[in-house]
Order: sequence, then structure tokens, then C-alpha cells
Amino acid sequence: MTATTTRRPPRAPAAGAGGSPGRLVTGIAVRQVRRGTLVVTLLAGLLPAFVAIQYRSTFEGTIGPASLAALADNPAIRTLFGPAVALDDAGGFTVWRLGTVLGVLVGVWAALTGTRTTRAEEEAGRWDLLLGGRLSLPTVVRRHLGVLLVAAALPGAALAVGLLLAGTAALGAVLFGAALAGIGMTGAALGVLAAQLAPERRTASGMAVAVLLTGLLMRMVGDGVPALAWLHWFSPFGLLGRVEPYAGDRPLPVLVLLAMVAVAGSGAVVMAGGRDVGRGRLAARDTGRRASRLLRSLPGLAVHRMRRPVLAWGAGLGAYFLLIGLLATSMIDFLRENRAFADMAAQAGFAQLGSVQGYVAALFALLAVPLGAFAATRIAATAADERAGRLSLLYASPVGRVRWVLTETAAGAGAVLLLAAIAGLATWAGAAWVGAGLGPGEALAGALSVVPVALLCLGAALAALGWAPSAVLGLGVLPAAGGYLLLVLADSFRWPAWVGDLSPFTHLAAVPAEPWDVAGAVVMMALAAVLAAAGLTRYGSRDLRG
Amino acid sequence: MDTTAALRTEHLSKRFGTTLAVDGLDLTVPAGEVFGFLGPNGAGKSTTIRMLLGLLRPTGGAAWIFGDRADDVQRAHRHLAYVPADVALWPTLTGQECLDLLAGVGPGTDLAYRDELVGRFALEPDRRAGTYSTGNRQKVALVAAFATRAPLLVLDEPTSGLDPLMEREFRRCIAEAADRGQTVFLSSHQLAEVDAVCTRVGILRRGRLVEVAGLAELRRLRRSEVVVDLARPAPELRRLAELPGVADVREVSDLRLTLALTGPPGPVLGALAEADVVRIDVREPSLEEIFLDYYGEVPA
Ligand SMILES: Nc1ncnc2c1ncn2[C@@H]1O[C@H](COP(=O)(O)OP(=O)(O)OP(=O)(O)O)[C@@H](O)[C@H]1O
Ligand SMILES: [Mg+2]
Repeated sequence: MTATTTRRPPRAPAAGAGGSPGRLVTGIAVRQVRRGTLVVTLLAGLLPAFVAIQYRSTFEGTIGPASLAALADNPAIRTLFGPAVALDDAGGFTVWRLGTVLGVLVGVWAALTGTRTTRAEEEAGRWDLLLGGRLSLPTVVRRHLGVLLVAAALPGAALAVGLLLAGTAALGAVLFGAALAGIGMTGAALGVLAAQLAPERRTASGMAVAVLLTGLLMRMVGDGVPALAWLHWFSPFGLLGRVEPYAGDRPLPVLVLLAMVAVAGSGAVVMAGGRDVGRGRLAARDTGRRASRLLRSLPGLAVHRMRRPVLAWGAGLGAYFLLIGLLATSMIDFLRENRAFADMAAQAGFAQLGSVQGYVAALFALLAVPLGAFAATRIAATAADERAGRLSLLYASPVGRVRWVLTETAAGAGAVLLLAAIAGLATWAGAAWVGAGLGPGEALAGALSVVPVALLCLGAALAALGWAPSAVLGLGVLPAAGGYLLLVLADSFRWPAWVGDLSPFTHLAAVPAEPWDVAGAVVMMALAAVLAAAGLTRYGSRDLRG
Repeated sequence: MDTTAALRTEHLSKRFGTTLAVDGLDLTVPAGEVFGFLGPNGAGKSTTIRMLLGLLRPTGGAAWIFGDRADDVQRAHRHLAYVPADVALWPTLTGQECLDLLAGVGPGTDLAYRDELVGRFALEPDRRAGTYSTGNRQKVALVAAFATRAPLLVLDEPTSGLDPLMEREFRRCIAEAADRGQTVFLSSHQLAEVDAVCTRVGILRRGRLVEVAGLAELRRLRRSEVVVDLARPAPELRRLAELPGVADVREVSDLRLTLALTGPPGPVLGALAEADVVRIDVREPSLEEIFLDYYGEVPA
């Protein structure tokens, strides 16, 4: 060789000074998920163990085998609360009481965390820097997915440990934990997959959560209609039921769950390959739409921004409450024939289940949680706009900050009313189909009676927007989700009355079985107004971020 | 109070934690002026502008827009239009929808002129904002701002993403705005652009205003470089260094001398008269040199 004088380009060192770039990405991902993981893991570890222990001191031995068989056979009970297969056991009761709730919580949290750590980062342009180095997009996605899967499995592990320490059967605890871990990992994988498809975080989150909640609906339908029981095999929640922890103790559904995770996860990595950074696989049309006439005023903008979320939430709530209505007669018949369960349901926060009015009233109380969550997401969207700098141009116009947020709040409150009406009418339609004897006015009144709780959420979210703008969603959902959990626990375990009184749900009457609790509604709305005023005052005078 | 000033600040200050981003800013921009607001990165320009717009709350002092307090945005913002350094738009809205929205809530827009500007800036208004490049997002904000008849345009690095063709269009728009009597407050790092469009500049360093002057005045204030070629060596010219306003006297060779001169040249010319001078070359500093001087200057 004579080319010794040829200049060679300097060669990059094999690894950077601070470890391999891949590890660096893992570190970034870990930092983004650790706080939420800690909270959810603690909750999943402590709450079920607590319920199991309390069960021993409250219910142990109060339910006879005949009643149990009746309960397990009733499709309505199964549809709403999941299969009741081992209520005579502390572990089995915990699965029945908390399995679905924890599954939804962990699954949704994992899906939202999945989109937050991937799509939101990419959308904000922070991955451009990351990918300017030696890393490819699939590698970065794979690293994040790995961290997310581990994080999403931790609540399940904590649950198993907690229930083991609480003294429940080992196999049941492990399988319950594994199923919860599987649901969490499915949520995480779906989140990352949706993040490859949709170009915006909000769309991606909506897609992932919608798939999960469709799984919940499939579980309910599969439980309610025996001919459709096979739907369970396609639903993470249905698979949890099929495991039957503390009764059947079947491991096969857990394996199916893991297969779901594998499919969604590898789908995400495959979709990440060959796609443009900053764009999704499902690129929206980028031109050609006629300019909307709504977008010429503040109220128009607020309505424009509300349309799609209202459609999506309305479809979900409508489907769920249609099902509730369809189940009305079989549920009531069952409870009339089995007083023991009516009493037990009353202790679990579902009083007066014996009449169709009492039954729908109990389920309308549940409606407050999604309505409150919807209200909180609307204000969280405002906070996200601020963070991303999208409000600078608006606020540089003669538009006061308080005026714009009030406009959005009004649109949000209107949307809450609309969603409540949709839920009420869907319930009525279902109940009318099976001839349960529920009037449309009754159904509407019942659904609308929980709106004050959602307004309380709106108030809390506005307070957060002023004082803690990075925690709008969490603080906004708190009155509904936290209040609901508090009430159920306080009722189940006969905690002192004042603890339960802290929950807004204590101050909701069982409309349409009972007349409205006007005083309760007034107090809640006054509280909401105070929170909103405090938040807006602060919002109008603090520095704008972004 | 001077209500004719387009923009006025009094001891305007902003502290972020331990950082004093803007420190007691006193500034008045009369109506009709094209004012350049300059300073190195992190000097506090954007912070000042965001305080003028009421987006940030001053920790001290106050600002007025045509006599209306800056924090009373409903009134103050009827007088202004703004182009941020980093334009963020709702990604699902089309450019046209963004323009319609800003016109709908803004201080009044000349729709015919706006359509003309859309053409001049070669903006594709039916694309979604999410598909726009940085420069295109900036153009949306620029078109929206120039199309208003607001008497004050506040522009924060508005051309950082524009190509030279668009940059030229931008300068034309500034000139048209100035002809209409609109006041322009322009923060920029593009010194050639500032030189071309601004009548007066303010220079900010570490949150403090270190200079406010007309461009011509600024040139005059600053030192020029004088090169003297001699027919034969004149060692006595070393005494030039003792004259007022003279610095950096250097003998490049026996027959060439350079010096830096600030202020009137009379005494230097007098001294040179005694020597056998072949040629004198006086070079004015470029604006860039002037600014770099200011940017790098250590505060007293
Ligand atoms: N939200 C904030 N929190 C803390 N410090 C901030 C914040 N915003 C700005 N600063 C600091 O204030 C100082 C001034 O920042 P500013 O953005 O006003 O600079 P600038 O002159 O616009 O710079 P550039 O030319 O880079 O745009 C900087 O030191 C910056 O770090
Ligand atoms: Mg800046």
C-alpha cells in the first residue's frame, strides 16, 4: 500500500464518556417515569392488602355458599362488577372489589405514561437532539418501551407482595399480581404503539385509552352475554377474570396477556422503523380543509377545540350507559331475590339497588368520575397550550387571560352537561328496550344530578392552573376519583362518618330514587366557584410559562 | 405623563430566582420610530418584550403602551401586534384558520392587505400549522402582525427562520409600516437588517441598557481607524498618542502609522500637517464592529 499519506477522517470513540448512548436513553426514560411509578406501585401494593385485611374483620363467614353460587351465576352482577368467584375468601373478595378498578387505573396510567414519554417528547422536538447522535429511532423507542414495561409491571408485583403479606393464598396473589402486571404492560405497549401512529400526544393518548376501555366494554359484554364469552380472550380485563385468582387459579390467560404485550410492543418497534421523526404513521391530511367559520372568535375557538373530545367521550359513555340500561331488569330481579347481596352492595356504596331508579342512581354516581376526568382534561389542555407557547399570540391580542380561560371553562362545563345528558339518555334507551320502567326525565335527572362533582373537578383544575400548572390533571381528577375511592372504602369498612363526609359523593342524593340534594349541590358549586376564583386570580397575575 | 410615546418603561425589572434578567430598564420609544433592540444571548430582550406584553409580571417598575399600562392587556393590546421569537400554533388548525383567529380577536386587520401579504410571503394558507416549517410558522405570525393596523409592532427576532428572499420582503414590510406611521420595536441579531431598517437602537447587556442612540450618532460616537502613509519616517508623530481621543498608535512600518480616533479629528490633522503625509485613510467602523464592542464590553 502506498496510500499512507491519505488523510483519514478522525474516528469516533466507541462509546461516549458517560456510558453508551443507549444507556443514556434508558436513564432519560427512567427519570421520566419514576415518580408516577412510585405512586401507582405504592397504591397497588397497599390498597388491596388493606382491603383483604379489613375483609377479615368485616365480612368473613357472612356469605353462604348458595348465595355465592347465585352471585356467580348472575350475568348482570358479572357484567358490572366482574366475575364473583371467591367472595368467601379475603383474596377473592379483593379481586372482585378492586380487580377492575386497579386494572383500569394501572392500564390507563401506563398508556398515558407511554405516550407522555415518547410522543410528547418527540412532539416537543426533544428527540431531534437525541437522534442527532448515533441512535436510531427504533432503538430509542425500544429503550423507552423496555423501561415502560418494567415500570408498568411494578404495580402488579407490589400487589402480589402486599396480598402475600396480608396472608392470602400464595398462588392467587401471584396470579392476580401477574394479571395486573400484564394489564399494565399492555397499556404501556399500547401507549407506545399509539405514539408511533398518531403525530400528536393527545390523539395517541386517546387512541391507547380508547382501546383499553373497549377492552373493558368487551369484558362486560362477554360477562353479560354467555354467547359472547369468547370476547374475554381479546380483553385484558376479561383475561384477568379468566385467571380467577383464589378460585380457578388459571395461568393460561396470563400467558395470553403476555402475548398481547408482545404483539403490541413489537408492533410499536416495527412501526418506529422507517418512519419520520416528529410524524406519525397515520399522518393526518396536511391540506385541503376549508377554513372553519368557528375560528373567528374566542367562543368559536373554544367550541372548535371541544368538538372532538366530546364526540369521543360521548361515544364511550353512551355505550357504557346503554349497557347499564340494558342490564337493569336482570340486575334488579337478582337483588330482589338475594337480600344478602343487596345489603352487601349497600355497604359497598350501592344503596337501594332493589328498584330500577335505585340501580341507575348508583351507577350514575360512577358517571361523576369520567365527567370529572373530562373536565380536568379540558383545563389540562389549556395548561399544555400554555407550556407549548401556543397562547402567546392569543394573549398578545386584546384578550385577557381570565377571559380566555373562562371561555374554555364555560365550553367545558357545557360539554359536561352534554355528556351527562348523553349518558342519561343512553341509560333510558337501554332500560326502555328491556322494559325496565325508567322514564327519560328520571334518567336525565339522575345523570345531571352528578354534574356538581364534575364542576368541583373543574374548579380544582382551575385552582391548579393558577397555582400548580404542571399538576392540573391530577389535582383536577382528585375530587371525583379520590372522593369515590374514599367513599367506597369508608362505606365498606365503616370508617367514622366524618371521613366519608369529606367525599363529594356523600353529598349526592340517589337521584332518581331520591329527590335532589339541593344543599349538597349548592355547597359543591360554591366550593367549585371559590376554587375557580382563586385559581383564575392567580392565573391572571402570574408569569405565563412557555 | 408622556402619552405620545409608543412605548415607555420605568425602572422595569425582572428577577427569575437568582437571575436578574432585566435590571431597572428606562426606555422611551416615540411614536413612528423603528427601534432596534439589541444585545447578546440572554441579555434580557425577550424577557423585556414579554413584560411589555403582560405575559410576564415585572418584579419592579412598570411599562406603558401609548399611555395604557402594559398589564391592562385589554386596553394596551388594542395598540399592538406581536411576533414571538418562537411561534407556536395549534397544529391541527390550518394557516388560514390561524390568520382568521388572530384577525378575529386582534386589534383590527386590513384583510385585503393580509391577502396581499400571504402572496408576498409565499405562505400556503390551507396547510395545517403542524406541517409548517419554522420559517413558515414565523411567516403566519408576521403576516398576521403586519396586516393589523396596530400602531405598534413588537417583533422578537422575527426573521431568524426566514430565507434571504423573505428577509427582503420583511424589510419592505417594515418600510411600509413606517410609512404608515406605525412604530416598530424590533429585537434582532441580524445586524445588517437592523442597519437597514432601524432609525435608533438600544443595546442591552445583562439586563441593563448600555446605550440608546440613533445609528448615525452611534457611528459618530465610536472610534474610527486612521491609517497614515508617510513620504519619509517621522518619529515625532509618536506624540500623537498624547492627543485627546487618540488611542492605539502603532507604527506598522517606518512609513505607515495607524491609530484609533474618537471625536473630532482637528488636533490629529494639525499634528499631521508638520509631517510629510502621502495619504490619509479614515475608515468608519462597521455597525458590526460597534455592536461587538458593546456586547463584549465589561460593565463599569
Ligand atoms: N422562565 C425563566 N426562568 C428563569 N430564567 C429565565 C426565564 N426566562 C429567561 N430567563 C433568564 O433570563 C435571562 C434573559 O433571557 P432572555 O430570554 O430575555 O434573553 P434574550 O436577550 O432574549 O436572549 P436571546 O438573544 O438568546 O433570545 C437569561 O439569563 C435567561 O436564562
Ligand atoms: Mg430572546
